[in-house]
Amino acid sequence: MTDVTGPILEIKELSRIYGMGDVKVKALNKVSFGIKRGEFAAIMGKSGSGKSTLLHQLGLLDAPTSGEIIFGGKNISGLPESRKAKFRLSKFGYVFQEYALLPELTALENVYLPAMALGRKKEEYIKAGTEVLEQVGLGTRLHHRPREMSGGEQQRVAIARALINRPEILFADEPTANLDSASTKQILELFKELNKETALTILMVTHEPDDMNYVSKVIWLKDGELAERGA
Amino acid sequence: MFNNVKLSSFLASRSMIKGNKSTQLLIIFIMSLIFVNLVFIGSIFLGVTEATNKQVINSLYSNVVIEPKKDEKYISDVYSLEQKIRAVPGVVGISAQYVTSATLSYKDKHGAWAVRSINPDDEMKVSTNHNFLIAGEYLSRLDDNEILLGKEISGGYGGDLDYSSLGVKVGDSIDVLFDNGVKRSFKVKGIFDANFIQTNTMAYISQKEMESIVGLEDKASQILVKTRDNGNEDRYIKQFLEMGIKEKIKPWTVYAGMVKNITNSFDMIAMMITAIGLFVAVITIFIIVYTSTISKRKQIGILRAVGIEESVIIQSYIFQALFFVICGIFIGLIIIFFAIKPWFIEHPLKFPIGLASLMILPEKVSMNAISLIIAAFAAGFIPSWMAVRKTIIDTIWGD
Repeated sequence: MTDVTGPILEIKELSRIYGMGDVKVKALNKVSFGIKRGEFAAIMGKSGSGKSTLLHQLGLLDAPTSGEIIFGGKNISGLPESRKAKFRLSKFGYVFQEYALLPELTALENVYLPAMALGRKKEEYIKAGTEVLEQVGLGTRLHHRPREMSGGEQQRVAIARALINRPEILFADEPTANLDSASTKQILELFKELNKETALTILMVTHEPDDMNYVSKVIWLKDGELAERGA
Repeated sequence: MFNNVKLSSFLASRSMIKGNKSTQLLIIFIMSLIFVNLVFIGSIFLGVTEATNKQVINSLYSNVVIEPKKDEKYISDVYSLEQKIRAVPGVVGISAQYVTSATLSYKDKHGAWAVRSINPDDEMKVSTNHNFLIAGEYLSRLDDNEILLGKEISGGYGGDLDYSSLGVKVGDSIDVLFDNGVKRSFKVKGIFDANFIQTNTMAYISQKEMESIVGLEDKASQILVKTRDNGNEDRYIKQFLEMGIKEKIKPWTVYAGMVKNITNSFDMIAMMITAIGLFVAVITIFIIVYTSTISKRKQIGILRAVGIEESVIIQSYIFQALFFVICGIFIGLIIIFFAIKPWFIEHPLKFPIGLASLMILPEKVSMNAISLIIAAFAAGFIPSWMAVRKTIIDTIWGD
């Protein structure tokens, strides 16, 4: 287990209400919890419990209706979009359920795209992209395009992309949902290894009970509310 | 907005490299046609205008026209006036003329036309009509009772006004009744076709002959002055006035009233067609980019989710639009300069006001290219801006 040195993310009274005319849907209702630096946590719950909605708020992909997201001591929920984009680029990594790679780019290009956006030099981002792909076991697939790779390989490319800018926290939204059991195991082992060796904070949404074996903490959600804490 | 150009161009280039080549070629072809259309329409109207202006200068009024003082019918002391004008640097020819109307008749046909008298040697320096003889010979200084006719007067050479012509040939004798009542017979010495209907409805006799008809010497109805360059008439007129010339001095443009109306109309039509062409370009590019943003909506969402700024995504679409347009412009220039222009030089269009070819001005071509690039910029910006305005969640997972 990695040393837990302090809170990296605090969520206070976070709510997300979707409105459609007079009908309001409370996807999240005053959710509060904290994630310590170096933790590997899972958000679990039934389908429709608000897991992905919560992750979207934390990853700054969506704006909460109310509440605060404290990252590094600052409330980041109300930042303008350009600042949020910078956060997503440099502080956060995000892995989607359905790989979310750009089909016209090779694995290496997909991976080094965020590094390019950060303004790193060409030789630097190519080197970093190659290293991170080797780290996820795809050193021989640098110049393959997504359609030439299996689902598991594509997801590892997506993980490599999320890691290239050395994020402080990695968000993963059901990263193994579309994978077979062997690939699922590979991905979860990779997360565990990253967490252990680099002290990377990981927050993963999952509905697979078996995934609990890999994490140090589980946040339970039920009907948009926190149901239970701790693993 | 224009930060991270490198990343935008990377995304744009990858999108195009992996895009459908046939579609891209078709888009570039459409852009090249739009550009060719913009340049062609402007250039052909400009060519017609230029041809018309040249005709007015070369076959009717030269660059500057000196007319009698107010309330006087003729210019006096023509010889000394000519000496003064000739001394002005840049003056390359002077032709003093009597201009009168006369009734020309041949057998049972007759009609009223303008008759100018000329000194052929002088006239050749201010006009190009001597180059357009289609039958017979040009006048010479000492010709008596010989007349040069435009083809609209003689008839028989496919003129637009053939129905009202005399139907004469070189060597035929015609009667001319001048407006002072003097009537003389002239032998048709030559027939010319200046490719300009206003010139082709004129007749020329020698100055010596006219002086005997009007009973005057060293006078003229008008003096035409040819200058080395076109477009600087006002400068020459200023010099003539500073020399103390009291006669009325006008640039050729004053006499191009009808022609000016036509050219103004051409300018208006060209402007309208250019505007329509640009509008078509905007719509075409808009549809292309809009379709692309719809089909790549999820990818746009992914890019934003990983932290790529909206401006970078917008720029990547603008770059794609600019790429298509710049390629279209490049191909359009090849089509214009290596196909259309040479063809029109070989096959100029025949108008009643003369032969017209394309007049392609670099500044106009540049303006068309810039207009198209601006149109592409706008048409690339709007749909991509619309695409990034949605939330990331809607972009990735929305309907």
